[in-house]
Amino acid sequence: MKLSGVHYLIEQGIENLWKNRMMSFASFCVLLVSLLLVGTSVLAYQNIASIVGGVESQNEIIIYMIDGTDAESLNQTGNQIRHLPNIADVRFYSKEEEYLALKERMAEYDVLFDALGDDNPLVDSFRVKVQDISQMSRTISQIQELDNILKINAPYEFVSFLTQLRTILTWVMCALIGAMVIVSMVIISNTTRTSVYSRREEIHIMKYVGATDAFIRFPFFIEGMITGFFAGCGALVITWLVYDALVKILENQVTLLNIIGIGSIIHFNAVYLYAAAAYLLGGALIGALGSVFSIRRYINV
Amino acid sequence: MVELNDVSVTYSSGVDALEHVSLKINDGDFAFVVGASGAGKSTLIKLLLKEIEATSGTVTVNGYQLNRLKKKKIPELRRTIGIVFQDFRLISSMTVYENIAFVLRVIDAPKKLIKKRVPYVMGLVGLQDKANSYPHELSGGEMQRVAIARALVNDPQLIIADEPTGNIDPELSYEIVDLLKTINRQGTTILMVTHEHDLVRRFGGRIISITAGQIDFDEIMEGTDI
Repeated sequence: MKLSGVHYLIEQGIENLWKNRMMSFASFCVLLVSLLLVGTSVLAYQNIASIVGGVESQNEIIIYMIDGTDAESLNQTGNQIRHLPNIADVRFYSKEEEYLALKERMAEYDVLFDALGDDNPLVDSFRVKVQDISQMSRTISQIQELDNILKINAPYEFVSFLTQLRTILTWVMCALIGAMVIVSMVIISNTTRTSVYSRREEIHIMKYVGATDAFIRFPFFIEGMITGFFAGCGALVITWLVYDALVKILENQVTLLNIIGIGSIIHFNAVYLYAAAAYLLGGALIGALGSVFSIRRYINV
Repeated sequence: MVELNDVSVTYSSGVDALEHVSLKINDGDFAFVVGASGAGKSTLIKLLLKEIEATSGTVTVNGYQLNRLKKKKIPELRRTIGIVFQDFRLISSMTVYENIAFVLRVIDAPKKLIKKRVPYVMGLVGLQDKANSYPHELSGGEMQRVAIARALVNDPQLIIADEPTGNIDPELSYEIVDLLKTINRQGTTILMVTHEHDLVRRFGGRIISITAGQIDFDEIMEGTDI
């Protein structure tokens, strides 16, 4: 196809947009709402996941070593733990350090410590953070295989609660997002279908005078893409304003922040590039595809 | 050239629309196709445009063997055929000029050619003053002349006119047929489907009559008005 042909088709797409401005506006609104629904759901999910992740990362496994284990064996055990899968962080706490720390924390009971004298009742320990909390029990059983281990303390119940919460949340969000994407696609393709239907005569004539399918589709493709792109812009601006306002409100809730951790709320600045890309590309793509799919019915003359 | 060789069309509903039809229309011919509604006239047109396939037999249009023509090649075939509908089928949001130029744009013709060719065919059908009018501002006869200009603009070998006078006043009907005759004299093959026997009697020429899916009459008759 010649360049002038492509130019003409793009012009047609833009012209159609204006000629069918009511239908275009309807498509724009539907797309905007759909994009907003999906976009806010994803952002909400990201935040909840981040909060759960923040709580998770505070959980650690404490491994108490048998008293009297020599430094070399301790070192060896530490290395063995570090080389296990799913380990994020391993820290060694010597019983001397711990004893001093304990003394400091319980300074008012110094009588008690005096009675103990140089007898340190504590043992050496490792504190381990895992990468994936749902795999924690497997990691623990792997640690149990190692030598010189006295006892392992782990927040089993809390961990299984968090893991379950996360799994349920993921499924609920996936289902919600999936449902919204499907609903959006159906509504958009219906809206475009109406707009295509109102121009079926034009399409029929084009077919009769020998227009190729690509030629007929292209202006609709352009039209859908432009509508989708603008809907994406609109959704981006609305999300940005509303989200920033919500974050400001949340950040004033000190009690709430103490529970969920201050770093757990995602700021829009951190995700705006992804949000913009997803909204604009997603909008343009859904708009264009919606148009092209709904035109199929009328193209077979 | 149009050639049908022992062509039958049976719709999926079981209706036999055409039965063992053989027909040859040479280049430069003008032929009327007459018949009652449901006789198979529309099926014949759909067949020639490859909107439907022959159940059996072979169809050749302007050198294209339609039975073997791939779907991708249909636009190429249709560019050799001009079509005029009973209900004009002009695009209401486009001016007369745009409606005609549209056909050339669709086949990706150079801009220069469009600028030259569109005014020329508008002159042929006597509508040079209506270039910027919209279809709703025109009379039935004028709209049909736009449709004829549209069918003519890419210089097709064959023009199929499907009841072109069906929606316009009888006096204007003669004008339309006259116009088609003029175009025919310049070498374009014309196949005009109609059920208006008056018109056929008046102009005469080759008359093909279809009844119940079969050709029962195919002869050249003298017109009363030549």
